[in-house]
Order: sequence, then C-alpha cells, then structure tokens
Amino acid sequence: MSEYAIEIDSLTKIYKTGKTEFKALQNVSLKIRKGDFVAIMGPSGSGKSTLMNIIGCLDRPTSGTVIVDGENISIVSENQLAEIRGRKIGFIFQTFNLIPTLNALKNVALPMVFLGGSKTTRDRHAAELLEKVGLTNWATHRPAELSGGEQQRVAIARALSNNPAIILADEPTGNLDTKTGEQIMEILVALNKEGKTILLVTHALALKRFANRVISMLDGEVKEDT
Amino acid sequence: MIKDIFLMGLAAMKSYKIRTFLTLIGVIIGVASVIMVTTAGGSVSSFIAGQWNIFNPTGMIIGTGTGGATPQLSVRSAVFTTNDVEKIQNLPYIKTVAPLGIVPLTKILKRDGFLKWESRPGQTMYASTPALLEILNLKLETGTMFVEGKNEVVISKNVAETFGKDKPLLVGDTIYVRRVDGMTVEAKVVGILQESAAFSMFNTLSTPGIICPTKPYYSSYFGSNVGTIFKRVVAYTVLLAEATDTKHVQDAQNEILQYLDKGGSDASQYKDQNSDFVVITQQYILVRVEQVMSVIRTYITAIALISLLIGAIGIANIMFATVTERTREIGTMMAVGAKRRDILQLFLYQSTIIGLLGGLIGCILGAAGSWFVVDLLNKNIQNLGGAFSTGTIQLAYAPEWFIIASVVGILIGVLAGVLPARKAAKMDPVVALRYE
Repeated sequence: MSEYAIEIDSLTKIYKTGKTEFKALQNVSLKIRKGDFVAIMGPSGSGKSTLMNIIGCLDRPTSGTVIVDGENISIVSENQLAEIRGRKIGFIFQTFNLIPTLNALKNVALPMVFLGGSKTTRDRHAAELLEKVGLTNWATHRPAELSGGEQQRVAIARALSNNPAIILADEPTGNLDTKTGEQIMEILVALNKEGKTILLVTHALALKRFANRVISMLDGEVKEDT
Repeated sequence: MIKDIFLMGLAAMKSYKIRTFLTLIGVIIGVASVIMVTTAGGSVSSFIAGQWNIFNPTGMIIGTGTGGATPQLSVRSAVFTTNDVEKIQNLPYIKTVAPLGIVPLTKILKRDGFLKWESRPGQTMYASTPALLEILNLKLETGTMFVEGKNEVVISKNVAETFGKDKPLLVGDTIYVRRVDGMTVEAKVVGILQESAAFSMFNTLSTPGIICPTKPYYSSYFGSNVGTIFKRVVAYTVLLAEATDTKHVQDAQNEILQYLDKGGSDASQYKDQNSDFVVITQQYILVRVEQVMSVIRTYITAIALISLLIGAIGIANIMFATVTERTREIGTMMAVGAKRRDILQLFLYQSTIIGLLGGLIGCILGAAGSWFVVDLLNKNIQNLGGAFSTGTIQLAYAPEWFIIASVVGILIGVLAGVLPARKAAKMDPVVALRYE
C-alpha cells in the first residue's frame, strides 16, 4: 500500500468550447499523504475546482495520471469511475446538496444504496452516522426542515457513509455563519484525527489554520505548497 | 437496489403531488376514453345491429334497384306479379314467399256514434298474404287472418290503440281507411298482432301497422297496376322470402335471381331496363351494418387513442421539466456514486408508475364511465319513444380493450420517460452540480 492517498503526475486539463481551448490545469504534479488535512486555495479561475473534480472522479484528466487511493482513474471505465467515486470519495458541498425529497436518514444512506447491500444494514449505519454528527432526533426530517448547519452535518454524515478514504469539502462553510462554520470545521478536524484524508477547497484564508498543508493555485498551476 | 431506486422515485412523486396528479389525469383520461369509446361503441353497435334484424336469419327481400357487389334496393316500381310469387315459391331452397304491396293511407277513421267520425293520421298499409306473418315472425294475439277478397284487415297493437289506450280497437270493430288517392274503404278488424319480441327501429316494416288482402285494398290502387291498357295486372314492389335453412340462403338467392332474369318471369317484362333485380338477405344486411359500425368505431377509437397520445406528451413534458429542475440532485447522486444506469432507472420508474397507475385508474373510470354512457343512452332511447322505445342497449365490456388500454398506458409511461431519463443519465456530473 502506498503512503499516498492521492498521487498526481503532470496532470493537464483542457476544456474546449467550440474552437477555443481553455487550460484549466497545466502540468500539475502533487502527492497527498494519507491522513493529511490539505487546504487548496486560490482565486476563482485558478483551477482549484477542476483539480477537485478530477480528484473526486467527477471529471477525467486530458493528460497525466491521477491515482486515487491506489486506483488509476485515468484508465477506468465510466461505470468504474462512478463506483470509485461512491467508495473512496465523500463529498461535502457549499450548498449542502441534500436530496429534498428524502429525509435526513435516507440522505445519509443514499451513497450506500448505489453500492447495494441490505436496507437494514444501511439504515443502521446511517443512524449511527447521524448520531455521530448529533442529529439523531432529526432523522425523519426533510432537509427543508433543517437549518444550514444541520444540513451540512447531514451532508458530512452522508460523505462518511461508504467509509471513504478521502473527504472532499468544497467551501463547506461558504453558506454558513462564522460560528456554525467553526463547528463544521471542528467536525472535519475530528474526522481527520480519525485518519481520514481531507481536502478542503476554499478561498477563505481563515480556514488555513485547520490544515497541515496549504496548496495555493493560480492560473492552473500550483503556485505555493507549504 | 432496484427496489430502493424505485422507492426513491416514488418519494419524489409524492413530493410533487400536484404535478404527479396532473400528469396522471392526462393518462387516466386517455385510457378511460379508449375504454368508454370501445365499450359504449361496441354496446351501441350490437344494439343497432339488433335493430336491423328485420327477418329471420334466412330472410331476404326481393326487389329492383342496382345490383352488383353492393346491391341497393329502390322501392320505386311495382313489377312482381302473383304469377311470379307462385313460381318463386316453387323454386328449390325456398320455404316461403310473400308479396308486399304498399298502400299509403292519409287517414284512419272510426265511426263514433251516428254521423260522428273520429280520425287519426294514416299509417302505411301493406297488402300481402298470410305467409307474411311467417316470414316476419309475427303471431296473432286475437282473431284470425283476413280472407283474400274480403274487406278485412289485421292490425298491430299500436294501431289498435291509435284512438286511445282506454278504448282500443277490438276484433270485430269496423274502421275506414282513406288512401292517398282519396278513396275510403271499409275494413273490419279480424285479427290483432302480438307485439313482436324482437323490436326494431324498422318495425314499420317488420311489424306492419295494418296488413290487408290485395283485393280490394291494393288491386284498385293506382300504383299497383302494370301492363298494357288491354291487359292490366296487379304487381308488387317487393317480395319477402325465406330460405329453407341458413346454409342455403345463397342458393335460394341465386335461384331467385336466375328465375327473375332468365326464367321468363313477368317481372322481367315490367322492370325498367336500367334497373336490376336485387335480392338482399338478412345476412347481407348485418354484414353491411357491421361494416358501417366498424368504420364509426375505428374512427372514434382513433380519436380516443389521440387523447392517450396527448397523455404521453404530457408525461414527457413533465418529466423533461422535472429532470431539468432536479439537475443538481442528479449531479449530487452521481457524486455519491450513482451510475448513469441508476439515474436512468430512477426517472423511468417514475414515468412507468404514472403510466401504470394512470392505466389502472383509467380502466376503472372507463368501466364506470361506459356504464353511465350506456345508461344515459338508454334513457334517451326511452324518451325518443316510437320504434325505439322497447329496445335497450346491453352494456358489453370488451376485455381486450382493457388489456390494450392498460398496456398502452404503461408503454406510454415508459416511452414518454425514455428521452427525459436519458437526458438525466447523460448529464455531466460537474456541470449538473454547478447548475443553479
């Protein structure tokens, strides 16, 4: 087993719209150790979202290799990519992205649905995760009935449901007030202590202090890596 | 997993209750109207076919008109003589022949006390022989058949009650009939017909109001005579005949035409050169009626199917809107591991449920609706009165249309869902997640 959660080698991503090409990422190479808490920072258009999408197996590289928890995602099929995404990555979004028609428990169980398994196991595990984020009493509530912080906690529980190696958090505090944002960050820190690799994409400098490594991006390249 | 995705689809439909309901209504109306149209249409057409049961299945009508594949009768000229009637009676496969002479009346009169008269508008009187009763399946309720040459008539129940239900004409009463040529003839009622069991809209023909002997009523009527001034002969417009059995209707028909055209019949002399002899059988009538009815049925079924199609467009439209609206959710599901196939299934299930549920409810509503329609039609038929008044439409469900309509409903759900579901499944997760 590699000591790295993510290994990226000369990754380039080019978007084509008609005849114009846009280089979102240029020759990016970096390695992220297991158990790291990495903050990826940079202004909009710097390529940090593209990088996250590729690491999160939502998008594919134009060239270069990306190995996520031992899987070379540059060479797998679309279905395998979806499977890797489900198993190895837990997403946390700025807008929470819960399914409005499902209650909190079902939302948490959703990633397990796509991997199969019995309903009883799924529901039990989802309930455990809700307990972990302190929302046991909200299990049967729909997202619309929850506050922003509560929704984000449900989203964190959902991100954990397939026990992924990597958690990708894209501006997780962006839609929350400072105090609630702090609470969410504390949960992420706790998860990191449990051994999860956490990638935090943000341009809020205040969040830098939670990370043990900060990667700054500019114009599709890694500008600073500390 | 399929079950879970199915339940998720169901949950989504529950959240969009009004939308689901409206889409359902489209399918329900489509399926229900197909069922109503086919059921009511089928019931009405068997009712109408019943109305055309003028004769026994072996019956036929002989006249002149246009021959060929679709013969047409024109009741214009009297050409068949008594001699022809006898000759045809003796042909093979013929059981009975009865002539039919039409004597239009302007009035039926009754003496009401001395010098006082009561009159009613006239009915058409038919001059014939006792064989007519056999061919038209009529029976006398009271009295006897008339005797040829005497001033006697047999009348129907309706005619008997023409002067009022409280003072019906009885056997032995005397009435006076005024023909269109102005002549008034005395007529003694010798028999009253039973009401025919198989009532039809043609009961003026199949249950003639007044049946009379040729002499004196018909032979003296100006429309009945043919020939030269030296030799005048009584002739009838049409003849009614019956074959020996249903298997030989065709043979009987051929024999009759053979005799009339080439057998030296009197009719061939008197017939207009441009017209043909025509034999129309009860079987042919029913076939023709069924052909007409099936054209009408096909037409209205097509209209009903169009409404089903509109239901399908409704599903597709709503599904497209739903897919667009839920773009971000689709992106989220992909992010947490949903494969394209899962997304496709999720939306396909929703449209299939709508199709299935719509088909089911549509079947039930269609069955109930057909019952109402047939009931309503029956009430209207009663209100029409007259010839229709004793007939009722029997509700006849067509099970095959229930199956067709529900299968089409499900199919429509699936097909209408395919394109929107494909659209959802083909989404790029990155773009979908960013969708506002």
